[in-house]
Formats: sequence, structure tokens, C-alpha cells
Amino acid sequence: MGSHRAGRASTRAPHSLTFLPLHMNQSAPRHSTKGLGWPVFLAGFIPGLLHFRMGQANRGAMALASCAVLFFAGFAFLGDRLFWWALVAPDEKSTWLAWVAHYLPLLNLPEMFNLPCTAIGTISSWDISFTGQRAWRLPRDFEHVAGWLTAASGMLATFWAADAQWQLTWRRDGAGAPCRPNVNPGLAAGLSWLVPGLGHVRAGQKDKGMLMGGAVLIVFALGLLFSQGHGCDRSVASVWWMGQNLCGVGTLFAALVTAPMQMLGPDGFPPLYDVGLVLCTVAGLMNLVVMVDAYTVAERSAFLREAPVAGGAA
Amino acid sequence: MNLMLRLLIYVPVLFLIAIVVMGQFHDNANDTLRAAVRRTGRWIVWTTGLVVAMSVLGFLFIW
Repeated sequence: MGSHRAGRASTRAPHSLTFLPLHMNQSAPRHSTKGLGWPVFLAGFIPGLLHFRMGQANRGAMALASCAVLFFAGFAFLGDRLFWWALVAPDEKSTWLAWVAHYLPLLNLPEMFNLPCTAIGTISSWDISFTGQRAWRLPRDFEHVAGWLTAASGMLATFWAADAQWQLTWRRDGAGAPCRPNVNPGLAAGLSWLVPGLGHVRAGQKDKGMLMGGAVLIVFALGLLFSQGHGCDRSVASVWWMGQNLCGVGTLFAALVTAPMQMLGPDGFPPLYDVGLVLCTVAGLMNLVVMVDAYTVAERSAFLREAPVAGGAA
Repeated sequence: MNLMLRLLIYVPVLFLIAIVVMGQFHDNANDTLRAAVRRTGRWIVWTTGLVVAMSVLGFLFIW
């Protein structure tokens, strides 16, 4: 470890600054691209647990509280209707699937990343009776915004987990080194979820962030345009919405403005509904790439290396 | 007409996707844009090939 720090410090002569991928950065420790293992990954499903284990009780409590507040703010309106929007319909005939849906709430994306709250919601409101099955299908007041809030709790849980993951990586590979990232990588990813490209702007790649974020937003807007606003509606196409939700601001706009609108047209759906649905989902998946890149850009900024000037003494 | 409209949507969206994909390999907007243009051209060639191949298969076995 000491040799890594010494190696990094020796490359900090005043030269032009470049971002280098970790595998190209000779001063970074070789194992820095390795993951932290399954236990850390699985612990990330419980917001704040990794922070508690690192001795950051306040941060851990904040992670747990923020995810719980968001989830139950939405769940108060949705109740068990949330589980009607799962990957598999809760009245699926398969018994083992119903068992999984009941005891392991892994079928609601992205709420499953906030596992404790989703588990409490599932267990407390599960009703497999015919009355319960009818209730799942009934629209609720404010269900679009409420559905966004529960989903946001899941996304927030992943960003808290990313924050903890980053801190653990930093402790392992870079603790004590003078070079810090421009922005917390978990925060960069979270900002990019909310506003595509904002994470890059905070991480120091302003023009690229605006370009990538603009591309995502244009595709999402085209999707809404072609579907006359109905391409992003969790109550109509919940599985597609799981992909669309990766563009936070887009789904928030749709939840507030377009999804509550009544469908017009001879047979309900607009003529280019399918195109709009696909474009909104593609925009969400594009933003997943933007989020991961924002995390990586922020992470790499901690391993800044000055490119040696040709012929210069390093 | 419907097919033409979908093709008109497809190409610009392909370019926007290429921007995001190529953004991962570049640090600034100019380099990203240049790479995205090249990548879009390549993807259009691939798409054309796939559509032709599927049309031939459809002609032989379905229609």
C-alpha cells in the first residue's frame, strides 16, 4: 500500500492534466479495478448498512431515513397496488413465484434496491384473496407521483450503496493519498439520474455532460411526443417503465404532467404509441450508460495523473 | 409511409445513442461528436445488412 502512495506521489509533477482509465494509469494500484466482493454488494440492498459498518452512523441513519421517507410517502397512496406493477403479476398461478413475491420482494424494480422498506410493504399489505386481487387493479389517487416516489427510494438506495462502495474502494486503494475526486462518484451517478449529464458537469466534463444529457433528453422527449404523452405511464406499461425510470427527470415530468392525461383516439392508444414507448425506454437505458460513465469519470478524477512532457524530467 | 416515418426517426435516434456510447471513450464533446458520426455510419451499414438479410429470409420462408 505504501509503495502505491509513493508511486502516485512521484507522478505529481506540474504537467498537463489528463484523465486516464484505471488500467492505463500506471500509478494506480493494480487491484483497484477489482470489486469488493459479494457480501459488500448484498449489504448494499439495505440502505445505510455499509455506512454503519464503516463507523459512519449518522450517514447510515440518513441513508436509511431518506429511503424510508421516500418509499412510505409513495406507499401511503399506493398500498398493494405497487405489487401489481412488479415484474410478474402477483396473482401468477405458480405457487413458488407467489411465495417469492410475498417473502422476498425482489420483483419490483427499482424498489427492490430498498429492500427493508419493500419487504415491510409487501408483508404488511399482501392480500391474495379475490378482494385483494381486485384492489390491485384499481387506480389510486396520485398513483403516478406516488409510484415515482417509491421508485425514487429504490434509486436513492442504489446511490447510497454506490457511495459506500466508493468509500470502501477509496479506503482500500487510495486512503491518505493527497488526490481526491472532483465529486463523490455516488453523488455524480445520482445527479445524472435526476438530470442526465449533471454528474459529468460536477465531475469536470461540462461539455461532454451537456452533450450526453441532451441526447438522452431529446430521445425521451421524442418518445413522449410520438406517444402523445402516454409512452411513459407506470400504470399502463409497468415493465417498460422500469427502464424508463432510469431517466429520473423524464419520468418525474411524465408522472406530473402527461401520465394523468386521458388517452384520446378511436381505440385508446395513439397511432405511434409503440414508437413512443420504445423511445422513452431507450432514453432510460441511455441514461444508465450516462450514470455509469459519470461514476467512472468521478472515480478516475481521484487517480489524476499528469502526462509527462516529452523530454521533460519527471 | 409508416415505414418511412419510422426510418426517419431511427437514424437521428441512432446518432443520439451513438453520442452516449462514444461519450464513454472520450473526454470532451468535440471528440465524442466526431466519433459518434463515424459510429452512426457504421451502425447504418450493419442495420441495412440485417434488414436485407431478414427480408431475404422472409421472402424465402414466410411470404
